[in-house]
Amino acid sequence: MIVGFSGKLYKKYEKDGIELLKEAIDEALEMAGLTYSDIDGIMANIGRGSFHGNKTYLNPPAQIGEYFGIKPKIIDHVQYGGPSVLAMIYRAYKAISAGDADTILCVQGGKISHIRDSNQFQKTDIIDSPFDDFIKVYDQMSPISDYAMVAYRHSKLFGTTDEQRALVAVMQRYNAINNQKAMFRDPITVKDVLASRIVSYPLHLLEIVYPIDGFHVFVVSKRTSKSALRNIDILAYGEAHWPNPPAEWDDIIYTPTIESAKRASFNLNRVDAFELYDSFTITVMLQMEDIGLVEKGKVGHFVESHDLTYKGDVPINTGGGSLNTGQPAYMSGGVILEEALLQLNNMANGHQVSDANVIFLNGIGWWSRRHTVTLVLGEKK
Amino acid sequence: MRDEEVRSMYFKYFQEEQLPFIQCGKCGHKFFYPRVVCPKCGSSDIKIGLSEGLGKIFAMTRIYKKDGSYVVYGIVEMNEGFRMYANIVEENGNTADIGKKVKVIFREINGKKYPLFAVT
Repeated sequence: MIVGFSGKLYKKYEKDGIELLKEAIDEALEMAGLTYSDIDGIMANIGRGSFHGNKTYLNPPAQIGEYFGIKPKIIDHVQYGGPSVLAMIYRAYKAISAGDADTILCVQGGKISHIRDSNQFQKTDIIDSPFDDFIKVYDQMSPISDYAMVAYRHSKLFGTTDEQRALVAVMQRYNAINNQKAMFRDPITVKDVLASRIVSYPLHLLEIVYPIDGFHVFVVSKRTSKSALRNIDILAYGEAHWPNPPAEWDDIIYTPTIESAKRASFNLNRVDAFELYDSFTITVMLQMEDIGLVEKGKVGHFVESHDLTYKGDVPINTGGGSLNTGQPAYMSGGVILEEALLQLNNMANGHQVSDANVIFLNGIGWWSRRHTVTLVLGEKK
Repeated sequence: MRDEEVRSMYFKYFQEEQLPFIQCGKCGHKFFYPRVVCPKCGSSDIKIGLSEGLGKIFAMTRIYKKDGSYVVYGIVEMNEGFRMYANIVEENGNTADIGKKVKVIFREINGKKYPLFAVT
């Protein structure tokens, strides 16, 4: 039922965010063979300060509808960071199956380069946690320092090395070399990763995503006749939320993916490629463990003994992931979902996994890994 | 107790260089981040206690600035059993690492005292 999609990525987009969104919607609708008047549902998750200047819409799906003249039957503001768009796909399928709408626009992204370049967020009354007053007062740089702490604890407990983490960046870069949408396409080595400066120990610059301007739009519709895409279905789904501050978790080396993957309960032997949220190298490794691809603590050895490229035995982040395309509005979910659809439709020129029929996606959201979504896509046979 | 009272009591204790925490009167769970309900059992029977200020580093990172200097940010686990985020200070040649013992110290941030931790 995904009949069209688009990802528009720019290091710095010169016009307003709403114009960038229109570019993405137009392209996705064209692929779907549909028009604005066909849309009767909108789901969205938009980065802060994404539309006009530094403005944040309070209810993005409603205000997108207002701007583009769409009168939806249903709207949904799914906001828990990067994986939100994966959850939107599931919600859109459910809504269409239930007859609540026929064609739903799922939107994620934003224009944030002005925030990135100013190095500070716009001051608002929006708070991330009831405990901001007790956490954000400290000298830190979340989410980088947050994931760096996990990477260091993982090393301490299991002996995971900098070289092993670097291998993830190196293999993803190999996948990016032929991806036209990737911003970083020169081959790199483990040595290059380790020579890049340490931002938050032990994470190096080449292990960290670069935030960019970008929108992803996915059109979910029961009107599939005009679309050339395969009739992709949701083969499995699970989400999990651990909203407590991770300092209060049993251990920070686990993510809620342990639960979302269990809820999806999908046989990994049937998977042709994995698209795993890649805000940092360690993020990918945590998910490899938590989805059950490898036992907790053993991912370091696993990345040394397997080929994670699109040509390899365990293809992961086959287009290079957001580590190489850049991260639209601080959220990578659209990048991995677009890549999954390219793979499934044999459209991943230069990085196509042969005979890709089942793609396993996992997303992690918010600065401290509190929200996860597991989504498996393929044709139901 | 009201939420606002708990939060102001925390800041009052900080100014007195005391580290508060909360113990649930029903299930005994101990936690730092101030709430009027126990995050484990949902009880409103909460009691503010004072920590002895001793613990160890559970997780940490060194955040590097452009000039090459760095700060240490981490999660400490106090002897009473609760965990919290804070900056960690390396004094007298003691180097921070996971498992190293720490004690609470107080430093002014934006005009108010907050708990930090020194490696002992």
